[in-house]
Amino acid sequence: MLRYIARRLALSLITLFLILLIVFSLTRVFPSEPARQLAGPFASEERVEQLTENLGLDDPLPTQFGRLVRDVVTLDFGESFSQPGVRVLDLIRPALWNSAKLVILSLLLVLPISIFGGIMAARKKDTLLDRSIVSFGLASASIPDFVSGVLLQFLIGVKLGWLPAVSNAPDDAGLLTGIKFILLPALAILFVYFGYIARITRAGAIGAFEADYTRTAYMKGMSSSKVIRKHVLRNALQPTVAVTGTQMGYLFGGLIGLEVVFNYNGLGGLIFRAATAPDFPLLQAAVLSVAIIFMLSTLAADLIIAWMNPRARLDLGDD
Amino acid sequence: MDWKRFDSLRSTAGPIELDLVEAYAQNRIGRRDFVKRGTIIGLSAPFMGAIIAACGSSSDGEAAAEPTAAADSGGSTDAEPTSAPAAAETTSGGNLIVGNQFGDANSGLDPVAMLDLGTYNIISQTFEYLVGLGADGNISDNALATGWSPNGDGSQWTFDLRDDAVWRDGSPLTSADVAATMDRMVEFGNSGLAGVIEAGSVDSSDPSKAVISLVEPNGNFPVLVSIFNPQSCITRADYSSGTTLNERDEGTGAWMLESFDPSTFDAKFVPNPNWWGGSTILDSLELRGFADIGTAVTAMSSRSIDVIQNFSVIGGEGLLDDAAFSVLTPPSSNHRQVWFNVQEGDFATSNLVRQALGWCLDREQMVSTLFSGRAEIGNDHPILSSLPFFDADATPQRTRDIDMAKSLMAEAGVDEVNATFTCGDLGEVPDLANIIRANAAEAGINLTVDVQSNSTFYGNSWCPGPSETDPTQPCAGSGSVGAVDYGHRPIPDIFLSSALSTGGVWNSSNYASDTFDGLLSDYRTAPDVASQKTAIGAIQKLMHEDQPALYPYFFNFLAGHDENVSGIQATALGHIVTSKASKA
Repeated sequence: MLRYIARRLALSLITLFLILLIVFSLTRVFPSEPARQLAGPFASEERVEQLTENLGLDDPLPTQFGRLVRDVVTLDFGESFSQPGVRVLDLIRPALWNSAKLVILSLLLVLPISIFGGIMAARKKDTLLDRSIVSFGLASASIPDFVSGVLLQFLIGVKLGWLPAVSNAPDDAGLLTGIKFILLPALAILFVYFGYIARITRAGAIGAFEADYTRTAYMKGMSSSKVIRKHVLRNALQPTVAVTGTQMGYLFGGLIGLEVVFNYNGLGGLIFRAATAPDFPLLQAAVLSVAIIFMLSTLAADLIIAWMNPRARLDLGDD
Repeated sequence: MDWKRFDSLRSTAGPIELDLVEAYAQNRIGRRDFVKRGTIIGLSAPFMGAIIAACGSSSDGEAAAEPTAAADSGGSTDAEPTSAPAAAETTSGGNLIVGNQFGDANSGLDPVAMLDLGTYNIISQTFEYLVGLGADGNISDNALATGWSPNGDGSQWTFDLRDDAVWRDGSPLTSADVAATMDRMVEFGNSGLAGVIEAGSVDSSDPSKAVISLVEPNGNFPVLVSIFNPQSCITRADYSSGTTLNERDEGTGAWMLESFDPSTFDAKFVPNPNWWGGSTILDSLELRGFADIGTAVTAMSSRSIDVIQNFSVIGGEGLLDDAAFSVLTPPSSNHRQVWFNVQEGDFATSNLVRQALGWCLDREQMVSTLFSGRAEIGNDHPILSSLPFFDADATPQRTRDIDMAKSLMAEAGVDEVNATFTCGDLGEVPDLANIIRANAAEAGINLTVDVQSNSTFYGNSWCPGPSETDPTQPCAGSGSVGAVDYGHRPIPDIFLSSALSTGGVWNSSNYASDTFDGLLSDYRTAPDVASQKTAIGAIQKLMHEDQPALYPYFFNFLAGHDENVSGIQATALGHIVTSKASKA
């Protein structure tokens, strides 16, 4: 297991390097004039040239890339192009933490509800309950997160006033107040992911319910809840865990629309603003952050699956 | 007419003031225009009131009264408020949250380089201007200058500085600060003062007076150092260019910046205990950044914020229908300029073709569709009809006339025109472009609309940069036709100079006319309203003839607040003045 983890981490470093190279290349290859866009349309050519020199944008590309690698290794991404004097990490840190809070709350809602829905749908396969859960899940998953966000915001935030319509909690907000302010976007994520996770869980659970070991457990007199807990879940949830792991990248860095709707300072919005500025250091650091999260989450998913499934442990090198 | 009193008053007036007083006494201008113009050139309210009283009833039949308000200089109706009335009982304390436009972070909170409404609003909470904002939306002597006066021909202006305005460390505001600020603006190339002053224009030998010498006489100079030239806020003499407010908190204003989060564009303020205007009623102020105006409207609807800096009619219907929401409509000359590149491209061949497009426009449809009537129809020049020097007789109002458009095209020997209409993705501009495209098609002008991101549009299509060989092309390579936004200014000087004069920094038309430049100079140096009107009337006619650009409308600027908030004032440049705000 430890060898496996070490091997995965080593591979991750190579992957991260490749991601860095791709992001760097894209920002330099596509036509853009970052210095002009940063200086503004009315700045003189001399000012733009000075800015180009100050930012090192006229250095040879290998030099610029080397500088980037050095910054990543030393965890010093330098200063933002678009926010003069502001360190990139000072922009990434709060956005990353905000995204983490939203993701954690979302998962606390999505996973139990979706898994429960999937298990119930599998248990009552081909009944009205099953079809209702599947249909509802399909419908809700078809609606983009920011659309359901707008609907929830209008209905619950504006019309009913039950929750804050925008996610700007006061600085001194406690845990419960903080949750209140991000509950609406979390519900929007629940709408999207319920159908997805429930269907995958349902598929895995159907297979587990129909398996010999489950039938044997019932015949041995085990209660239904115990059968589900000890036998069905461990086998049904492996695809669910795998899918959840792969979605973390999107949850952290892809919720741009939702963040705009709720005026929430997350990593997705930060990446969008960095890409359009263009703010190369910020963009590179933010994309790298998402890549690291993705890698760690897929590794964690694999380890969880290995814990759930002894056969998987053998594949990972455990004797 | 009380001649004795009148003579005694006018004997104290300088040449420029005397021209205005005489014009009023001879009924050449009405009371409203007299007060508006008088405020600009520095006449005090008591003086103007005394003149009005001495002259008896005004020429427009209204009873003579102390001028407490000048007519607005924008497209809004007079009945609509520009500021929230002071509450009958002010409530002390509380935190006010203002929904603010997410600023262009590229310039940072730099008072000299800032270009967007979000940053204007933040900076103006801590820095102040020589010339302030009156309750009527016009300029006033309630800021760092307690009064001002021109010399005989308006080529030199003396500003009396407030003696109790201090900086953070308690040191007083002096004319040296004014001098340094003006020099900094000249060095940066501030568009409002380009060609108006030069480096070293300020005589600061008397710390209590800033004497500013102009390149040429200009009767509107006080407006150019007011809140309506946002970058003209006064900074300390040792404030170096490029310094941002969050790097160095400074200012003489009612608020001090406590914190600024560049990632959210949130700025928090605490009261300045040394503010000359006394203490603020509120305990704190927060300007919260919103990247999307729709989200800001939602936040206002749900009362997550108390004040909204700006919203549009389209998308803001909920607020306009909200009985507990107070709409502010400050005077506004906000408009969209439809420029033609007159030197190259599809519309460069003939002014008749450009005129033809002007006759195609259905302006009523634009005002109704895009603003639900909250706009004033334009007449293809940047002179708002409520300005005292607007010449209503110079050019008849254009209406949609396809036959006229076709006949102009025929006279130009052109059967059809095919061109790309470029614009940025800003507000209603893409919709305007499509309306123009539909309007123009009937006359054989076939436009393809190209909506670009704002960063691409401003840098590549609107004004790519000056020609290296031809000084008459400050925006060489600009699109052959397109639409660009212009924010409010109480006087049209910038609209005429920067956008239309030869070599003007915003002259995307690359329009170069000695006649226009001469008329602009006549207007600027005109000592009185009548002379300004003569020059402006000629400009209006010339615009219709040469047609370097079209001006379909001037639209209202909308801001607003919850009914429990009072003492707020807004400008059409996005400033929300909160120094006397309170919240129940």
